[in-house]
Amino acid sequence: MSACFFGVSNRMKKPIISGNTIKVPSDQVFLPDVDNFLESALREYGAGDSVIADIAISVSELVNNAMMHGNKASPDKMVSVTVSLNKNAATITVSDEGDGFLPETIDDPLADENLMKEVGRGIFIVRSLMDKVVIDATAKGTSVSVTKAI
Amino acid sequence: MKLTDHEQNGIVILEPRGKIMGGPDASLLHDKLYECIESDKKRIVIDLARVDWMNSTGLGILISSYTTLRNNEGELKLANVTEKIHSLLTITKLVTVFESFDSVDEAIGSFK
Repeated sequence: MSACFFGVSNRMKKPIISGNTIKVPSDQVFLPDVDNFLESALREYGAGDSVIADIAISVSELVNNAMMHGNKASPDKMVSVTVSLNKNAATITVSDEGDGFLPETIDDPLADENLMKEVGRGIFIVRSLMDKVVIDATAKGTSVSVTKAI
Repeated sequence: MKLTDHEQNGIVILEPRGKIMGGPDASLLHDKLYECIESDKKRIVIDLARVDWMNSTGLGILISSYTTLRNNEGELKLANVTEKIHSLLTITKLVTVFESFDSVDEAIGSFK
């Protein structure tokens, strides 16, 4: 009875939008919700297609990491994405509820021995596309803030 | 992401549309590619003209498909790579791995 109740509860989880923040359960099915929220905010602010794509690619990498590595795909743990727009730049902060995931420990994706690996490029792509990346990993979760001039 | 496909001269052309960002949408492309390989259709062109962007999940699918096809005497070629995706292939050095062409016809013509 209780297992059934919790199963239904998990399936009913949906994105929660509050101001400039969207929170989604750790399920990749919600990636388009985050993308739509982000693109809408950036477009409203007047950002161009190329910048929007760079930010959207980077945030999708961070949200994937937060869901799969940070929260370990637990549907009870949420990922939050906050968009802050100021004069000339957008800063997006992605936070999970995991144990503190450190992306720096990943192998160099450009090394010959890693070039044909199917995974391990996410944070490298983020660092390449964004102007600034700040990672704050604690035992209560990881927050990654990325900034891009727009 | 949406995905359509058709055949021309015995070559499968896959046409994904939208954004390849992971999750169920990305599985569509992955599953279709492996369905082709299992059906012994091993000459494949991915037409990227209508893909807005992809992230590392999309790149991972391309690499997996390329490797699987090569190991089974098949070939994967890319057509109409957009500026955004080309930039991603360049910064990840994968531009040195994939053969890409300006049109689907050119890609088809390149198969021996």
